[in-house]
Amino acid sequence: MQPAAVIRVCRAMASLKLTLVALFFFAAGVIVEYLALANAIWVLVLPLLLLSVNLLAAIATNPVFRRSGALLVFHLALLTLVVLVALGRMSGLKGHLELSEGEEFNGQLTELEAAPWHRSTLDGVHFRNEGFSISYAPGLKRERTRNAVRYMDADGRERFAEIGDQTPLVLNGYRFYTSPNKGYAPAFLWYPAAGGEPMLGAVHLPSYPANAYRQSRDWMLPGTAVRIWTQLQFDETILNPEKPSQFRFPENFVVVVRIGEARHELKPGEALALPEGRLVFQGLRSWMGYTVFYDWTLHWLLGTALVAVGALGWYFWNKFAAQPWDRPA
Amino acid sequence: MMIELQTLWAALVLYVLAGSLSIFGVMLKRRPERFVLGLLLAGLLLHTAAITLRWIRLDHGPFLTLFEILLSNVWSMLVVFALAYWRVPALRPSAAVVMPIMFVMMGWLLMTNPGEGHMPPTYHTIWLYIHIGFGKVFLGALLVAVGISGVILLRQSRIGHGRFAYMPDDARLNELSFRFLAISMIFETLMLIAGAIWAQDAWGRYWAWDPLETWAFLTWLSLVLTMHARLAYKVTPRMAAIMVITVFVVAFLTFFGVPFISPVAHQGAV
Repeated sequence: MQPAAVIRVCRAMASLKLTLVALFFFAAGVIVEYLALANAIWVLVLPLLLLSVNLLAAIATNPVFRRSGALLVFHLALLTLVVLVALGRMSGLKGHLELSEGEEFNGQLTELEAAPWHRSTLDGVHFRNEGFSISYAPGLKRERTRNAVRYMDADGRERFAEIGDQTPLVLNGYRFYTSPNKGYAPAFLWYPAAGGEPMLGAVHLPSYPANAYRQSRDWMLPGTAVRIWTQLQFDETILNPEKPSQFRFPENFVVVVRIGEARHELKPGEALALPEGRLVFQGLRSWMGYTVFYDWTLHWLLGTALVAVGALGWYFWNKFAAQPWDRPA
Repeated sequence: MMIELQTLWAALVLYVLAGSLSIFGVMLKRRPERFVLGLLLAGLLLHTAAITLRWIRLDHGPFLTLFEILLSNVWSMLVVFALAYWRVPALRPSAAVVMPIMFVMMGWLLMTNPGEGHMPPTYHTIWLYIHIGFGKVFLGALLVAVGISGVILLRQSRIGHGRFAYMPDDARLNELSFRFLAISMIFETLMLIAGAIWAQDAWGRYWAWDPLETWAFLTWLSLVLTMHARLAYKVTPRMAAIMVITVFVVAFLTFFGVPFISPVAHQGAV
C-alpha cells in the first residue's frame, strides 16, 4: 500500500464520527450483557477493539494530540486501562475456601475459577483461622466481622492479624476476604480399628444463621464406606432478633450421629465404637468461609485511572483557562 | 426526630420561596437575585442542621435509605447550584429551571418514610465518603449544566422567548454548560474509581457489572458520547442542550432508581 493510501486509511479510522459509532456500540454491548440478551463477551470486546484502533489512528494523525499532551496522556491511559483489564482477566483467580477454627490453609480451594494464564503460588500461602466474632443488630442484621488469623510473612516470621469485611489478608498477592458464610463445625477424632494415626476432622454445618433450622450434614468416615449423618441440636436462642447479640457457641448442645438406622447423641468427649474404629466427638468449633481474589493488575489499574483523570482535569483546566466562556473564540 | 423533620421542613419552605421568587422574577422580568441567594443560603443552613441532627442521632451519615439519599442529594445539589449561582451571576436566571427539578425531589423526599436503616459492615470505610462525595459533585455540576440547557431550550419556546433575553446568547450559554459538563465528567470518573476501590475491599472484586455499576458506567458513556458528539458535529446549542438533559435523565435514573429496584448487595449510597 502506498504511504498516501496508508495515511488516508489512518485518517478514516481516526474519524470522530467512528468514535461515536464505536461508543454507541459499546454502550449497546453493555446493555446487551446487562440484560443477558447474549452471553457473549464479543459484544464488549469488538467495540473496545474498534475504539482502540480509532484512538491509535487518531493519535497518529490528529494534530490535537500533539498540541495537547494532557489529552494524549488521558487517551493513552484509557487504552492502558483496557489492556490491563484484559491482562487481569487472563491471569486472575477467584475462589472460595472454608477453614475451621484452628485449621491451617493448605493451598487447596473448595471452588476455583482460574484464568488461563494464572500461575498459582497458593502452595506457598499459609495462614490459620484463629476464630472470629460477629455482632448482630436487632433484626438479625450482621455487623462487623472480626476474624483473627495467624500467618507467616515473607521473612518466615509468624504474624497475627485481624481481618474482616473490607480488610483482607493479602499473601503472595492473593487477597483473602471473610464472607457471610460461616457457622458451626463439630470436630471428631477418628481412630481406625486397623491402627495408625488418629485423624482429626471437622464437619462444616450449613451457614448460620442463614440455615439455623438445617444444622445437619452427611459425611464419610475417612478410609471407609461408612456414611454418617450429623446434626447439631440445641434449644437456646443464639441470635435474638429483638436485641443486639453476638455469634457464639450454644451452652448446652448435643451432636446427633446417625449411621444407618442407629441414632446416637454425643456430648463433647464422648465416643462411639464402630466395627471400623472409634469416633470421638471432641467438641464444637466454628468455621469461616473465605473468598479469594488474585489480580496483579490492581495497583496498576488504580495508578493508570488516576493518571487518566488527572490528565483529563489538566486538559480541561488549560482549555478553559485559555478562553473565558463568555468571550467568543 | 421531630426537631430534625421540623428543621428540614423549614429548609424546604425557604427553598420553595427561593424557587418561586426565581420563577416569578423570570416571568415578570425582574431580578430578585440577592433575595434568592439569601433564601437559598438560609435554606441550606437549616438543611445542614437537619442532616447534622440526624447524623448525631443515628451515628451514621445520610447514606442508607431512600429518604436519606434524597435528603443528602437535595442538599448537595443545591450547595453546588448555590455556589454556581454566587460565582457566575450570568446563570442566575437558570434557577427558574433548576428549582422546579428540586421541587420534584423535595416532594418525593416528603413522601418518603424517614425511618432509619441499618449500616452494613462494608460501609465502615473512608471510601464510602470519598465515593459519595465525588458522586455528589458530579450530580451537582450536571444540575447546573441542565439549568443552563433548560434556559437554551426555553428561549426557543413562546413562553420563554424574551424572558431570558438578558442572559448571554445561546452559544455562550452552550459553552458554559459544556464546562459544567466537563466538571461533572471528571467527578463521575473519580466516583467510579473510588467506587471500584471500595467494591474491591467490600465485596472482593472491583467491578462486577451489578445493576448500579452498569448504569453508572452507562451514565459515564453517555457523558463521553455527548462530549464527543460536540466535537464530531456542529451541534446546535438546542441539540447540545437536549443531550445534556438526556445525560441528566440517565444519571437521575441511575442514582435514584436503580439502587431501589436492584436486589444485589450494592444498594447505592450516593
